[in-house]
Amino acid sequence: MRDVKKIAIPEYDAIEKARRHVIALMTGAREAVTPLTFTIHYPKERKHMPDCFRGYILFTPENCINCWQCAFICPANAIRMKKASDNRYYPTIDYAKCIFCHFCVDSCSRGALRATKIHDVAYRDMDEMLADTEELVENPDVHREDERYVDYVLNEDDAVIKREKGEDRFFVEIPPPPDVRFVARCADPESCLGCRICEHVCESGAISSVVVNGVREMRIDEKKCSGCGLCVKECAMQILILVRVR
Amino acid sequence: MWRSRHAANVLSEWRVKLPEKPLDVKYFGNLKSRVIDTGICSRCLTCAAVCPAPEGITAIDGVVFENWEEKCLDCGACVRVCPRFEYVPKSGVGDYIDIIAARSKRFKGQDGAMVTEIIASAMEMDIIDRAIFVGRDEEWRTTNFHLRDTEQLSLKTLSGTKYCYSNALSELRDAVLMSKKGVGVVGTPCMVSGVRNLREQYPVFRKVKLSIGLFCTENFHWHELHEFLSKKGVSFEKLIKTDITKGQFIATMTDGEVSFPVKDLEEIIPSGCHVCTDFTAVDADASVGSVGSAPGFSTVIVRSALVKDIIGYIKQNNYAEFGDVMLKVVQKMVKLKKKREAHLKK
Repeated sequence: MRDVKKIAIPEYDAIEKARRHVIALMTGAREAVTPLTFTIHYPKERKHMPDCFRGYILFTPENCINCWQCAFICPANAIRMKKASDNRYYPTIDYAKCIFCHFCVDSCSRGALRATKIHDVAYRDMDEMLADTEELVENPDVHREDERYVDYVLNEDDAVIKREKGEDRFFVEIPPPPDVRFVARCADPESCLGCRICEHVCESGAISSVVVNGVREMRIDEKKCSGCGLCVKECAMQILILVRVR
Repeated sequence: MWRSRHAANVLSEWRVKLPEKPLDVKYFGNLKSRVIDTGICSRCLTCAAVCPAPEGITAIDGVVFENWEEKCLDCGACVRVCPRFEYVPKSGVGDYIDIIAARSKRFKGQDGAMVTEIIASAMEMDIIDRAIFVGRDEEWRTTNFHLRDTEQLSLKTLSGTKYCYSNALSELRDAVLMSKKGVGVVGTPCMVSGVRNLREQYPVFRKVKLSIGLFCTENFHWHELHEFLSKKGVSFEKLIKTDITKGQFIATMTDGEVSFPVKDLEEIIPSGCHVCTDFTAVDADASVGSVGSAPGFSTVIVRSALVKDIIGYIKQNNYAEFGDVMLKVVQKMVKLKKKREAHLKK
């Protein structure tokens, strides 16, 4: 207790005391008329979210190249790939596990996964929280009651709340990713085992092999190759690489 | 994985040579009928090092690939690298640059601890960044140990002879793919021959910069040796060290010793070792063993320039003391093992 410093109560003279009382009374009167609170009257109002807000995720199957990157990168194991009727695998998201880190959205090279600003999603039970691919494609049905949106404006010495009429946009238009195309190629053909795991794993049927005179001829059709990198990941000798084509 | 390289040295069309198929079944079937079923398999597990099939080639006492008719990917890699598929028995002391006898000052091991010393020095010289050692569990079953730091060498289970087959090569591919500089491997002559085949056939495996062979007369299946030694009264919980000197198998325990003539072990010598004539690990970068040097020293046969550099580094830093080599004793053992050629003709 030796380190405790005692601070004496400041002593003011009569004029100073009166001045301070007046200021206090004026602040009280102002608060009574226009209260300065930071309370947002949800659901009548919503806070305005920035465009990069990490909310509910949407999926565009036309852009998906089946690279599984979203499922591989998900730290919470919330994304499972599900086989669709066209024999391709598309992501499903279990919102019971999802931590909204949006690694999946960032890892998607073709922009097939998109972020929305929706953060208040309610479910009745755990099973409902598993969002199927079909659910991810369409904009979710959100019941909205908000009439205005709210922004915090921080000045140098003061914080004010700014209310504006209208609805905050939930769906942000993101410019499409740059058209960069990758294809798989073999960097070390001598080390190839010829096991054809790449051929089995390829979703787009780009890799083929034929045996001619005791030699197995491996071929990657660059027109068919979607650049998903599945073969690169599965290759037993790690000799396949993705090469950028312009 | 997402490396981008210039498109010049990468191909979208390439060819893989397929080895000949004596039988019209999948390649593992060929390996099985020619090597495993005939009993010349040395259980070196070079095949397991390359086998790309998930749940592929493994080994318990012998080499197993359950359900191979379905699971074998028929790539022929195992046939290409198996040292016994086109078996040419190797013998003699082999090509060498230098033969030395040495004892490590830093480490304690079976004899001169020169295997540990060479691997540790190679790591210090930045030649390799990981090595596969053979450790053991409490019941003296061999386990694989991926050494990544020289400090880990203080583990007592790593040094010392186990006289049991190891599964070290089955994890070689993982080690090679994870390594940045190079990999070191310690093994019996058959394993070392397999590593040489891997290097010749698949450039990826040239990352195995250092393969150290051990002088070897024979090796045993764990279950058989365990049963045999238990009958002789060896308790594995108290076992500290096993050794063969002057024709006697000596098992040192905390409360005494059990020793018997090595000839008693002949009944459990595996068939793969019966046809092996390689005593000094001819295909290794360096061969190490106790035969040919004074007690407490190891004989080191230096076969590659890289190992010569490593020995130079050891000399320079005074990490080991050196002694005299009795090459005649080594040659005597070589001759003794060469007699096993007779088994092969049968």
